Amino acid sequence: MPYYETVFMARQDLTDTQVKALTDHFSKVITDHKGKILKTESWGLLNLAYKINKAKKAHYILIESDTTGETIQEMERLMRIHDDVVRSLTVRLEEPTTEPSAIIGGSDDSDSKPRYNKKEAA
Amino acid sequence: MAEHTQRKSFFRRPKSCPFTGNKAPAIDWKNPKLLGRYVSERGKMTPSRITSVSQKKQRELAKAVKRARFMALMPYLQNGDE
Repeated sequence: MPYYETVFMARQDLTDTQVKALTDHFSKVITDHKGKILKTESWGLLNLAYKINKAKKAHYILIESDTTGETIQEMERLMRIHDDVVRSLTVRLEEPTTEPSAIIGGSDDSDSKPRYNKKEAA
Repeated sequence: MAEHTQRKSFFRRPKSCPFTGNKAPAIDWKNPKLLGRYVSERGKMTPSRITSVSQKKQRELAKAVKRARFMALMPYLQNGDE
């Protein structure tokens, strides 16, 4: 079955336990439809690059799963209805990831090249 | 082209695409630190003629940047008119 990775953002008002309950709720949808959860990551409360619904922070959660497309569609539908989920994005993966995401730790970029001169670009 | 004479006063661009090769980092939309290097100070994407990213990787990079922008990991515009 294909691999999918879903990242969704929960409102900043929620507590950690509520966020965990939310994650479990969506994970249950996947496992109920005979899917497998490969990885669940919580990136915590991150600053948003721009305000969404007047909020500046949100909880980010990543779920990596091995399920069918219909299950993912069902999960996305539920996310769309749910009030606490601000935004979500599901991407299909070629193969499951092995390391934790770069935002948490994962592989670090040892080659820090200087930012390019922006006189031409901007 | 006038751009060639202009570019002499800038740095010399690297010879190969930074994303191809053995130890090349994978283009991941969840990695704003990596993506931020290929984006200008205002948040706009830098063209590949400056960063010397290959065409295929530049397309992947663009897609990753757009996804990161949608998920508010990167801004659409920075230091905009506020």
